[in-house]
Amino acid sequence: MNDPLETARRAPERRPRQSFELEETGFNEVPKRFRKFYRRWRGPKDKLAPNEALCPVCKVVIRSTKELRAGDRVYCMPCMSRLELVEENGVLLAKVIY
Amino acid sequence: MADFLANYSIQKWLESCPQGYLEDTVFGHGPDEREPDDLLKNESYREQQIRTTVQLIAGERCALAASSGLVNAAPDQASKTFLATQTLDEGRHVEIFTQRLYDLGIKPDDLESTIKTYINPHLGKFAEVLLEKVDKKDFVAGVVGQNIVLEGMAFSVFEMLHTGALETNPKFAHTLSGTIADERRHVGFGENRIGELIRRYPERKADVQRMQRDMTKHMLATFHEAFSRSPAVADTVAPSGRKSNATYQGLKLAEASNEEMESALSATVLGEFKTRLGRIGLEYQSPV
Ligand SMILES: [Fe+2]
Ligand SMILES: [Fe+2]
Repeated sequence: MNDPLETARRAPERRPRQSFELEETGFNEVPKRFRKFYRRWRGPKDKLAPNEALCPVCKVVIRSTKELRAGDRVYCMPCMSRLELVEENGVLLAKVIY
Repeated sequence: MADFLANYSIQKWLESCPQGYLEDTVFGHGPDEREPDDLLKNESYREQQIRTTVQLIAGERCALAASSGLVNAAPDQASKTFLATQTLDEGRHVEIFTQRLYDLGIKPDDLESTIKTYINPHLGKFAEVLLEKVDKKDFVAGVVGQNIVLEGMAFSVFEMLHTGALETNPKFAHTLSGTIADERRHVGFGENRIGELIRRYPERKADVQRMQRDMTKHMLATFHEAFSRSPAVADTVAPSGRKSNATYQGLKLAEASNEEMESALSATVLGEFKTRLGRIGLEYQSPV
């Protein structure tokens, strides 16, 4: 499995998830076949797309081929953290699962 | 055993690091990249860069001693394997920053005396607090000290130096970007491994927090000394015509005073400590 989205949330979803075509981002910190799934974060003004989440541990943006939603579990390969997405004040945040 | 530990393999490290972002590099930078001429010709600027690089070497020597010492303190094989890869990362960091001193004109015979001349005394105390825990084979405190406090500090310092060097010194920026990539794994290991252990051994919290407070005290003193010794502009910025437009935490590096730089860096690192420690169930302890 290549996509960082490891398990989608279990709750039923009313709206189907958007799909995304991922292009290369110049991120070279993981083996070649995984590089398109990550990109460098450009700081607090960086707007994340619906298929992106910021890893709070290593500050890399994780990208999936699917739209991400609260309850999803994603993997951050650059720092090897497993994260769960939660919604706080309408913003999607990634929390580390210990 | 937590399943994240299964990811700590030498094979994955080989694919990401030596066969990944370090491929085709020489001492962490492109084979054709050089220190800029205006740096080498400007004596006070060159001295600033030597002083900065000496602190990086001292910090990395401490990280090398800590990560190698922690291999034998680790309670499980996966952590030992990870720390073995980190030991090599840290050994590489010592080497590339030492090489940078040579590139700045220091002769190999003068290496130790140069380090002695320029080392920030507070950095030595910071290292002592950590290495004392490592010597006692205290894995939990050692990993918090090394992979959260030391690496958390290094992460922010490297990012600040990288921002400053990006336009004016691509060789140094390239060297730093490889170390930042390494730090991501190191802080990831620290948070993931200790996050789990602190939940299992909550009685360790008070002692580990005390160590964090002591390390933080020496770190802030290190920053204060470093910025008060810097003669003019922040020492990541070329003094010549090629003024950098780089900004760090909203500050224009080419124009910021040393006091402004010190408070921006301290605030960033302390903010990072608070969130990282909070995530793993520890409470940040202020040294004052
Ligand atoms: Fe990460
Ligand atoms: Fe290092």
